[in-house]
Amino acid sequence: MNEKISSIKKGSVLVVGGGIGGMQAALDLADSEFKVHMVQKDPSIGGTMVMLDKTFPTGDCSMCMISPKMVEVGRHLNIDIHLLAEVVSVEGEPGDFKVKIKIAPRYVAPDKCTGCGDCETKCPKKVSSEFEQGLSVRKAIYSLFPQAVPNTRVIDKDNCLYFKKGRCRLCEKACKAGAINYKDKGKEIELHVGAIILCPGLDRYDAKVRGEFGLGRWKNVVTAIQFERILSASGPYKGEIKRPIDGRHPKRVAWIQCVGSRDSHNANPWCSSVCCMYATKQAIIAREHDSEIEPTIFFMEMRSFGKDFDKYVERAKTEYGVRYKRAMISAVREEPGTGDLLLRYAAEDGKLIDEIFDLVVLSVGLEPHKDSVEFAKTFGIETNSYRFAKTFPLKPVQTTRKGIYVTGTYHGPKDIPETVMQGSAVAGEVMALLGEARGTETVAKEFPPEKDLTGEEPRIGVLVCHCGTNIASTVEVEKVVETVKDLPGVVYATNTLYACSQDSQEMLKKIVREMNLNRVVVASCTPRTHEPLFQETIRDAGLNKYLFDLADIREQCSWCHMGHKEEATKKAIKIVKMAIAKARLLEPLKTDTVEVTPAAMVIGGGIAGMTTALSLADQGFHVSIVEREKELGGLLRNLYRTLEGNDVQEFLKARIEQVLSHERIRVYSDAEVKKTGGFVGNFETTLTNGNVIKHGVIVLATGGVEYQPTEYFYNESDRVITQRELEEKLVSGENPRSGEQYVMIQCVGSREEPNQYCSRICCLDAIKNAVTLKEKNPKAQIFILYRDIRTYGLREDYYRKARDIGVFFVRYEVDKKPVVEKIGDKLGIKTRDYMLNKELILNADWLVLSTGLRPHPKTETVGEMYKVTRNPDGYFLEAHVKLRPVDFPGEGIFVAGLAHAPKNLDETISQALAAAGRAGVVLSKENLAVSGIVAKHRKDLCMSCLSCFRVCPFDSPYIDEEGKVAHNEIKCHGCGICAGICPAKAFQVNSFRDDQILAMIDAAVECEPVIK
Amino acid sequence: MVKAEEKVLSVEEPREISSGWEPNILAFACHYCAFAAADLAGVMRLSYPPTVKVIRLPCTGKLDYIHILHAFERGVDGAFVAG
Repeated sequence: MNEKISSIKKGSVLVVGGGIGGMQAALDLADSEFKVHMVQKDPSIGGTMVMLDKTFPTGDCSMCMISPKMVEVGRHLNIDIHLLAEVVSVEGEPGDFKVKIKIAPRYVAPDKCTGCGDCETKCPKKVSSEFEQGLSVRKAIYSLFPQAVPNTRVIDKDNCLYFKKGRCRLCEKACKAGAINYKDKGKEIELHVGAIILCPGLDRYDAKVRGEFGLGRWKNVVTAIQFERILSASGPYKGEIKRPIDGRHPKRVAWIQCVGSRDSHNANPWCSSVCCMYATKQAIIAREHDSEIEPTIFFMEMRSFGKDFDKYVERAKTEYGVRYKRAMISAVREEPGTGDLLLRYAAEDGKLIDEIFDLVVLSVGLEPHKDSVEFAKTFGIETNSYRFAKTFPLKPVQTTRKGIYVTGTYHGPKDIPETVMQGSAVAGEVMALLGEARGTETVAKEFPPEKDLTGEEPRIGVLVCHCGTNIASTVEVEKVVETVKDLPGVVYATNTLYACSQDSQEMLKKIVREMNLNRVVVASCTPRTHEPLFQETIRDAGLNKYLFDLADIREQCSWCHMGHKEEATKKAIKIVKMAIAKARLLEPLKTDTVEVTPAAMVIGGGIAGMTTALSLADQGFHVSIVEREKELGGLLRNLYRTLEGNDVQEFLKARIEQVLSHERIRVYSDAEVKKTGGFVGNFETTLTNGNVIKHGVIVLATGGVEYQPTEYFYNESDRVITQRELEEKLVSGENPRSGEQYVMIQCVGSREEPNQYCSRICCLDAIKNAVTLKEKNPKAQIFILYRDIRTYGLREDYYRKARDIGVFFVRYEVDKKPVVEKIGDKLGIKTRDYMLNKELILNADWLVLSTGLRPHPKTETVGEMYKVTRNPDGYFLEAHVKLRPVDFPGEGIFVAGLAHAPKNLDETISQALAAAGRAGVVLSKENLAVSGIVAKHRKDLCMSCLSCFRVCPFDSPYIDEEGKVAHNEIKCHGCGICAGICPAKAFQVNSFRDDQILAMIDAAVECEPVIK
Repeated sequence: MVKAEEKVLSVEEPREISSGWEPNILAFACHYCAFAAADLAGVMRLSYPPTVKVIRLPCTGKLDYIHILHAFERGVDGAFVAG
């Protein structure tokens, strides 16, 4: 190791942007011993994802997914969040950048504000809400959205009456914590960091530019993001679908696709990648909200190219009755007096049709931030001609300045999982860059030794919170204290203005010590956000952190029962009693740790496996690559150029060279895995060649194969070839003759049962080869017969280029596929041209089949070996489609490349880096801590009936040497499904034991009159 | 010997419901979704009868028949499982 470098590099990272991509990068880095500074220009983190109602293609609630992540970021000891902040200058070089950051005044002191919201209630000034897209109002002192992290309020100076007129100060009077500070001047800070990650997020196209659609003029024309808010249960209409003009429930709802995308005139030439899918999702969710709704989506091309996207669109059509119309809308007009909207479009036969709709949603595209060029200048990076950060296909997350990386939509339009994947990918890149500086700037919390409770009776302390007036105005807090203070086990009960404030934490510690408490109940707000805070406090006072319970009397009581003081107080008493009943039975829990073998095993030596291996090796870990073939390289050996023109073989050669010469990588070729045992941190694998490897993580990069067609006379005529074979011909110097006719057929073996998915690469392959043919000889004739051209994102440029240089695109429908016949040396191809509405007969010299991808046949056996599930198409199913795109539910196993789903080279590289980032988080730890909330297994009660075995999602029960069921607590997540199903009650989940739950039930019913 | 059917009938005999009576309902909610939803209801100031109380579970898969039976035995009028 170079000592000089290790002494220079900083162990901290700057993440610019607090959306989901930045959050993922920050968490991965902070969890693997790097200090993270997150800079966010908004008053809280969350970015675009928090505005979405649900996500495709699973319909998961967006906020439910991102909210725990925001809390995790907000509470992380090694993540500092700088809000209302902007970077003003960057100096230095990779490993040591000096960054100046300007922080705008918030006028609310974050260390004093408890987020109770009393100020907001009193503020008299209403302002159109940016978060709700102008569909509702907020106050001049506000938090961005109800679940904001942090939920410290901010004063909007431009609208505040005090700042504008010098009078009001009502928020100051309302704030019992004294957090309002009108004299806040903001500040400028300087940081030294080793690397910088840019994830500033996106802007949406301003559809008002396209006046013909009537946004801003016709009230019932809304943008897609406005419709997200309309759908959202926490949005302006509380999830009820209403028309803005009259509040009436719309029946006929139309989506207009590509608003501001794929259009060079007053709009953006690129494809925004996500609109086809979000419109489909919105149509489905709208139908779920209101079955009367008849959704119609007007589109040019259905670009459902991602994993399981085509199936989702099929379901939209067949199960939800979503009507897809291939048409461009020329104008939207309002029917006077009704608010209804008239859409005019040309049907497939060319006839003009006028159709009435109740509501129109414009699927507006994504674009870089308005200030993205200035932003780039600040960081000294280049942008491409579209103002996105300039990157390279083979280095997808690196900018033009070394040590500065990019993730998310600043790289190009993309959806959530790809953003998250890139978030982990940049984390992987930074770990490789700063590997040796790991742990140099992070802090760990020191705690006093834990008190021994052996033989002690419960001594419970109860703290009931007023939360300013949030609880106290509805619940009689003193009465709650009075009622519970003499309950069995309770030795102390009191109330406090804000339980979460710093002084209350000190008070709580003091009470624990002075009253010799051994259990604590706080009655305040939700455990989802506040439990860790109080747990840390009592741990600081020498108690095991699991000797705590939080009674939620705000979200689940005072806020829901305003104006019903008596009933609310009764309920609060009951909730606190339930918590006390549980607290009596709480026990200190030991959190075990396991050692980690700092090495990885990668299965598959294709580009995904090699990229992951190199990144992990550069991070400082030993890596074993297991490849069943004799050579490394996988499918990439058959690819010569990328769409953008990069030489793939040269790149591959260099990569293989790097792998083979790396001191920390060992390649086992011509070998397969025979047996793997163990768990995260401690795997042991035996290979078919007899080698035994010990490793802490596993990366499955088993790759895919190309579909071998049986259609269209392939194998019967040497004039019928695949795109891959054509590429090989072109590379080997073959040139098309003038007038030679090439006909390409898309979707061969894809997007049809039983392979109802898009292979993602074929449209780009076809266009790449078509352009090369035309460039070699402009007089060659090329026809591409397609269903939808899916040149998503910035790849749209190449589709446009192909059309510009004279490649013919002819669409076909799946039920009217082209018919091919052999005519001597040539091939006759009959297909219907929908533009001309005529039968087209082509006389091709070459028929080129765009064949798709399939999972590697080995995926099945590998999947069985590691008990990882696969989707109906045979690709590995990740832990979570949106937020854990490279993880498996079982800890310590990751996926990368084609084994996960079809994808392009740059996407495979991103995902492989992401797997390295995620794996690096595990390997960087000397010990892994196991949560205290796990299922405990009692062998003496267990009958080994295997019920737990079948239901456990994490594969933690196993058969031991005696042939009986045993339980691996390291793999356990504490969900308790085993405990629910176990007929012998041999499983109990810590802190959710049956006796604890039954005690809560008893406490909940004790005072209820029983009807006799 | 009493026939099994008769036994069942006697248990199921309907009772008078007095006016103003509110059912006592226990909700068993998954920490990650339904419990979060109950929180959101509060944040949005949506109201529901104060006789509904929530018991947090790590996952609704943790729920045991015994919890529900015990609750009914102790006199709750309804159990709501959400997750």
